Amino acid sequence: MWKKIYIWLDERLGFDDMYKMLLDRPEPHGNWWNTLGSASLFLFIMQGVTGIFLTVYYTPSPDHAYDSVQYIMNGVAFGWLIRGIHHWGATLMVLVVFIHMLRVFFSASYKYPRELTWMVGSLLFLLTLGMGFTGYLLPFNQRAYWATVVGTNIGGVVPGVGPFILKALRGGTDVSALTLSRFFSIHIWMLPATLAGSIGLHLYLIMRHGESAHPTLDD
Amino acid sequence: MNDETKKKIKEKYEAALQKGERFWPDSIYKDLLVSFALFILLIGLASFIGVHPEPKVDLTDTSYIPRPEWYFLFLFEFLKYFPGNLEWVGAAVIPGILVVALIFLPLYDKNPSRHYSKRKFAVGLMSFIVVGMVFLTIKATLTTPPQEESLVANSIAEKMSLGQDLYSIQCVECHGPDGYGGEVVGVEGLEGTIIKPINSQDEMYTRNDDSLMSIISYGQPNLGMVPFGGAYGGELSSSEIEYIVTFMRYTWDDRAEVPADAVTSAIPALAEGEVPSYEVHISALVKRQCLSCHREGKENNNYLMDTYAGILSGGNSAPNVVAGDMNSNLLQLIQGHELTSSDGTLIHVMPPNGKPIKDEYIDMFIRWVEAGMPETAAEATALSGE
Repeated sequence: MWKKIYIWLDERLGFDDMYKMLLDRPEPHGNWWNTLGSASLFLFIMQGVTGIFLTVYYTPSPDHAYDSVQYIMNGVAFGWLIRGIHHWGATLMVLVVFIHMLRVFFSASYKYPRELTWMVGSLLFLLTLGMGFTGYLLPFNQRAYWATVVGTNIGGVVPGVGPFILKALRGGTDVSALTLSRFFSIHIWMLPATLAGSIGLHLYLIMRHGESAHPTLDD
Repeated sequence: MNDETKKKIKEKYEAALQKGERFWPDSIYKDLLVSFALFILLIGLASFIGVHPEPKVDLTDTSYIPRPEWYFLFLFEFLKYFPGNLEWVGAAVIPGILVVALIFLPLYDKNPSRHYSKRKFAVGLMSFIVVGMVFLTIKATLTTPPQEESLVANSIAEKMSLGQDLYSIQCVECHGPDGYGGEVVGVEGLEGTIIKPINSQDEMYTRNDDSLMSIISYGQPNLGMVPFGGAYGGELSSSEIEYIVTFMRYTWDDRAEVPADAVTSAIPALAEGEVPSYEVHISALVKRQCLSCHREGKENNNYLMDTYAGILSGGNSAPNVVAGDMNSNLLQLIQGHELTSSDGTLIHVMPPNGKPIKDEYIDMFIRWVEAGMPETAAEATALSGE
């Protein structure tokens, strides 16, 4: 019976091909530094899962954001754990992605034929920072609010386009309800969608060119 | 890069693959192990360190020091090296150049070698940047002054307790300790005004939390109530007003279900023969009954009661208490006796509205002075053991 189901599914999905393509790939002898990329992916998935759970109770309006976060922390079963993981996951993700980037730089893995992998990867790093910046405002407490006031102000000093950047980030002249709702939208839709797509491209490029070998003296 | 070098690179890679491993299961087990370790680390951080509680947004708090998330601190610190009119160089030009340089690195780094010993410039430059970032982050952490901790309530019980503290200081002068109101005595500009009770069922049923918060925040100018919200010239933040309303709601509204862990009496009762201490009893009692007037900015003959030393020797009529002396000024005053100076002129009568504090509180003060005004609970226990 199980065998029949397996054969039926295999005919259509092609488990064997998948195994050969995805898992049974030859690789150069790796070391522990090579695990940082998959660790970044794992943290991205963790942030996604905990973030989705958080949206169940979180309300992106200035009147309710703070109280809804308080409720998640004190009222919802294991809400503190979910938020705690999301909070620390953000810090850890920035750290792991950054160290991953340094690893690739110091082992010169970005050189031919993996130039595009690096370019997509550095974009992923910037997107991660963007996630950190937009997510920071969402609890809408003192720290979040003032950090965003200062952070968006920095965008405003760019000569010429500064005032426009400031207005576009804040949705007006001040950090307000509009800022919160656009940061929320950027944080849960725009950046994650871009991130997911770029991660897909990044992974495809890694599979296409294979993991880079550690440079030896004659490289 | 010419085709020959490309071919060479490919051959070398093929050779590396020959003596390499399989993705499954050789390297994926390392990946899974690291990810699992991170998972455990996350759960540990969430459980044992948690998320630092922060107060609600308060636009009027000018003492708040804004600071970004730690991984942006280096940029924050970097900007300090640029004077005001050059800030855009540090904020936009240099980071912009670095970001573009980072993304397009493989396109202009023409050095074909991969081993770090043959990439001295690239490795050196990147190390310099990373060390600089770490240095700036550490410098920013060390130089920003610590944030003034404000109290953040996490449960209704905590909100009630903080709210009661605030009520005792901000509201009792006019509304009385239990919200009964009555005639105002000793408040500038409101002398003799009769205030209706705010603890009645009528009041609690007709006003919801939002309208109570608005009243406290805006005040009632036509009735003489001043605004208390920071945005309107008062001293309370929006969180603090919320705590006061929570205290009022759960104490006076007969529909409210008081949580089991709520402390109903903030002043600990004394057992037979127990000696009260400043730490446990007197400070709590003073906070509820005295601080409303005996704090900075009020008319009180400079007698500020917010510290142990202040209670003992503050004010114009010090010493206020003498160990074991039942005629100490403080004890005489709280029992309604007049305080006169040595030439017989009247200095002060307490309490100003003629309503003395409860007998049990007077008793607490008497027993404290009798025992010699112990400051800590340990001292008090030692004294009661004699």
